[in-house]
Amino acid sequence: MSSSGAPSRKTLSKIATNRLQKELVEWQMNPPTGFKHKVTDNLQRWIIEVIGAPGTLYANDTYQLQVDFPEHYPMESPQVIFLHPAPLHPHIYSNGHICLDILYDSWSPAMTVSSVCISILSMLSSSTEKQRPTDNDRYVKNCKNGRSPKETRWWFHDDKV
Amino acid sequence: MVTGVASPMAERLKEDGNNCFKKERFGAAIDAYTEAIALSPNVPAYWTNRALCHMKRKDWTKVEEDCRKAIQLVHNSVKAHYMLGLALLQKKEYTDGVKELQRALDLGRSSNPTGYMVEEIWEELSKAKYMEWELVSARRSWELSSLKETCEAALNQQCALDMSRTEESSDEAYIAHTERLKALERVFEKAAEEDKPTEVPGYLCCNITLEIFRDPVISPSGVTYERAAILEHLKKVGKFDPITREKIDPSKLVPNLAIKEAVAAYLEKHVWAYKMGC
Repeated sequence: MSSSGAPSRKTLSKIATNRLQKELVEWQMNPPTGFKHKVTDNLQRWIIEVIGAPGTLYANDTYQLQVDFPEHYPMESPQVIFLHPAPLHPHIYSNGHICLDILYDSWSPAMTVSSVCISILSMLSSSTEKQRPTDNDRYVKNCKNGRSPKETRWWFHDDKV
Repeated sequence: MVTGVASPMAERLKEDGNNCFKKERFGAAIDAYTEAIALSPNVPAYWTNRALCHMKRKDWTKVEEDCRKAIQLVHNSVKAHYMLGLALLQKKEYTDGVKELQRALDLGRSSNPTGYMVEEIWEELSKAKYMEWELVSARRSWELSSLKETCEAALNQQCALDMSRTEESSDEAYIAHTERLKALERVFEKAAEEDKPTEVPGYLCCNITLEIFRDPVISPSGVTYERAAILEHLKKVGKFDPITREKIDPSKLVPNLAIKEAVAAYLEKHVWAYKMGC
């Protein structure tokens, strides 16, 4: 069995490698609040720990994000999912897939891992109830073949967050 | 500059040369180009093609000769300036080598700003600049540290002399002495700063590549990007500004000459910034 939703792994282009090295240095000097990234020798997959912001439903909860970078990053968005167990949230499916427009249609190469993390934390923080999306079971069943969330045709729940 | 007309025979020889080159038979290619040159000595391409063969064989003196000849015939040949630059760097003539590469880069950008040649020339230029800086800065830092040692020794000697002459309490003299030593430390730290690699200021870096600008262009929204990166974005991601998300027509990108000059001035002072990601 392969790991959940692993994208086809083409090695990073030179441009992608350069850019990720810069992001890594910047992250080490100036990590976004509420996130920890254990640096490994794998530049192409980052595992990032998220700590729920104080004063929100997720305060003190910790989760893990898995960020996989495609060959042509940043011209293509990274694949970002929560590792099991994913936070209970109206935009996060139980298989870890996140319904957030900037990860798909609204990606821009000026965004970074750091800015994506901040968006995800702000999505968590603004939630008013800990529950799964209404179509969770149907969606997760459709992803059984290990489909990447980047192949989903997302119908964004709302654009408030 | 008058570039000569090629005779049909010479053109055939050039084709032969090109075919040999593709098969990596560089000696045979050189012979063919040499014959072509004998027939039509004023065609720059024959000289630059032969130079490329010499380069493959690492015969740098001949590379230099052929490139210089080609430049005499046509002063704006990107390839001739590029290979001449590399040949001069091999001879450790850094300043002139860098100058040729810079010329090749400027010429290359004006003819095909996103071509592979431009990328390759930039890489060689950065490498050369960085290497030159390493040599110079190592010498500078050695000079500074030996000068510092000398100054410290002189201050210590002066202090000992002063204390032996006065009968007053030596405490004050000693405090003044340590203050002087600290001041000296600060002066030398300041002097070493320029050669200490730090972070390039964000306003000199592209928001897509995160690297220092090479060929900055400004979008209609007023954001500056690396030319190759923003063109790639417009082609692959969408016709919008990556930061402001306003629509962009690729023809609306214009060079940001002020930032280009600022980058040049910064690199002049902080040569280590030429070092690339890998």
